[in-house]
Amino acid sequence: MKDVTADEERILRVWTPVILRTILVGAIAILLLGLLSMAWQSPGYYVARFHRLQNTGHLQNRESLALLVSSSLKGEPRPIMTLGLMLLTLVPLARVAFCFLLFLKERDGIYVAFTAYVLIGLVVGVILGRVG
Amino acid sequence: MFIMLGLLALAAGSGFIGALSGLGGGVFIVPALLIFAHIPMGTAVGASMISVVATSAGASVAFVRDGWTNLRVAMVLECATVTGAVTGAYLAGIVPTWVLELLFALMMLQSAYFTVTKVGDSIMPHSDALAERLKLGGRIPAESGQQEIDYGVVNVPGGAVLMVVAGLMSGLLGIGSGALKVMAMDYVMHLPLKVSSATSNFMIGVTAGAGALVFLARGDVATVIAAPVALGVTAGALAGSRLLPHVNVQSLRTMFVAILLLIAVEMGWRALSGF
Repeated sequence: MKDVTADEERILRVWTPVILRTILVGAIAILLLGLLSMAWQSPGYYVARFHRLQNTGHLQNRESLALLVSSSLKGEPRPIMTLGLMLLTLVPLARVAFCFLLFLKERDGIYVAFTAYVLIGLVVGVILGRVG
Repeated sequence: MFIMLGLLALAAGSGFIGALSGLGGGVFIVPALLIFAHIPMGTAVGASMISVVATSAGASVAFVRDGWTNLRVAMVLECATVTGAVTGAYLAGIVPTWVLELLFALMMLQSAYFTVTKVGDSIMPHSDALAERLKLGGRIPAESGQQEIDYGVVNVPGGAVLMVVAGLMSGLLGIGSGALKVMAMDYVMHLPLKVSSATSNFMIGVTAGAGALVFLARGDVATVIAAPVALGVTAGALAGSRLLPHVNVQSLRTMFVAILLLIAVEMGWRALSGF
C-alpha cells in the first residue's frame, strides 16, 4: 500500500486548492465583469447574437489570443468573457501540471510519463481544434 | 437582458438538480438549452463542457483536501479519458446531430440505471499485480471514530477501457460522464464508493477541460451562451451542494430517474425525427 509523502501532502492539500481556487475565482470574476458590461453597454448586441445563433445554428468565435487580449484591454465585453472562459479551462490543466511537478520531484518515472501523456493530450486537443 | 437572465436561471436550475442528484449539471443543461432556449446541439455541448469544468473545479478541491481522491488512480485513468475526450470533441464537429442526440438518450438511460442500482462498497483488501506495480492502492481516511482502512485496486485495463468510452461521451456530448466513471471504478476496479466519487470528480474537470480546449480552439464556444451557462451552473451547483446534507436524497431518487427517462425519451425522439 502506498503512503502519501509529506511533499504530496503539502502540495495536494495546501497549495493546489489555494491556487486552483484563485484561478477559479479570477475566471468567474472576469466572466461576471464581461457579462455585466455587455448587459450594461450593449444589450442589443447580446440579443442580436443570441437570435442569430438560434437562426443560423452557429457563431464562429475563432480569434487569436493577441486579438482577444487587445480587444479586452479596450473594454470590449465579448473578448473579456472569452478570456474568462479560457482561464476557467486552465483550472484542470493547472491541476495536471501540479501533479506532473509533484511526480517529477518524487522522481516517479512512471507517473511523470502518465501526467506528461495527459498534458500532451491537452495540447493535441488545441492543435486538433485549430486544424479541425 | 431577459434572455441573459433566463439563461442564468436555466443554468442555475440545471446545476442545482445536477448537484442534488450527483450526476452533475451537464446532464441537465444540454437538454434544457435544446428544449427551452432552442439552442443548436453543438453550441449547447460547448457551453455545457465549460460549465462542467467550472463545477468540477469547485467540488474536487474539497475532496482532494480531505484525502478521498486517489491521485494515482486518477492519473492512470486520465490517460484514457483525455484520449477519449479529445477524440470525442474532434468528432463532435463531424458527427450528425441525430447521432449525438441518440447517444445522449443512451447516456441518460445509463445514468438512470446508475441512480437506481447505486449500492454499497465491495472493497478489495489487496491489489492485483499491475495495480501493485503502479502503487494504486490507498487508504480510506478515518471518519467519526472509525479506523483508517487500506484498500486494493484490481482490473486496471478493464477500467481504462470504460474510461475511454466515458471520455468519448464527454467530448461528444459535453457531459462529465461521472456516472460511467464511478461505475467503472466501483464495479470493475473495486475502489470504495466514496473514493470512486471523489476521484471521478477530480477527473471530470480534466476530461471536460480536454474537450473544452478542442471546442475553444475550433471557435465552437458561443460566448454569449457559455458565459451565463458557466456562471449559472456553478451557482446552482454550489447551492445544491450546500443543501445536500439537509435533504433526504433517497426520497428524491424517483424524481431524478423520472427526469432522466423523460430526457432520454425527448432526445431519442429528436434523434429519430432528425434521422
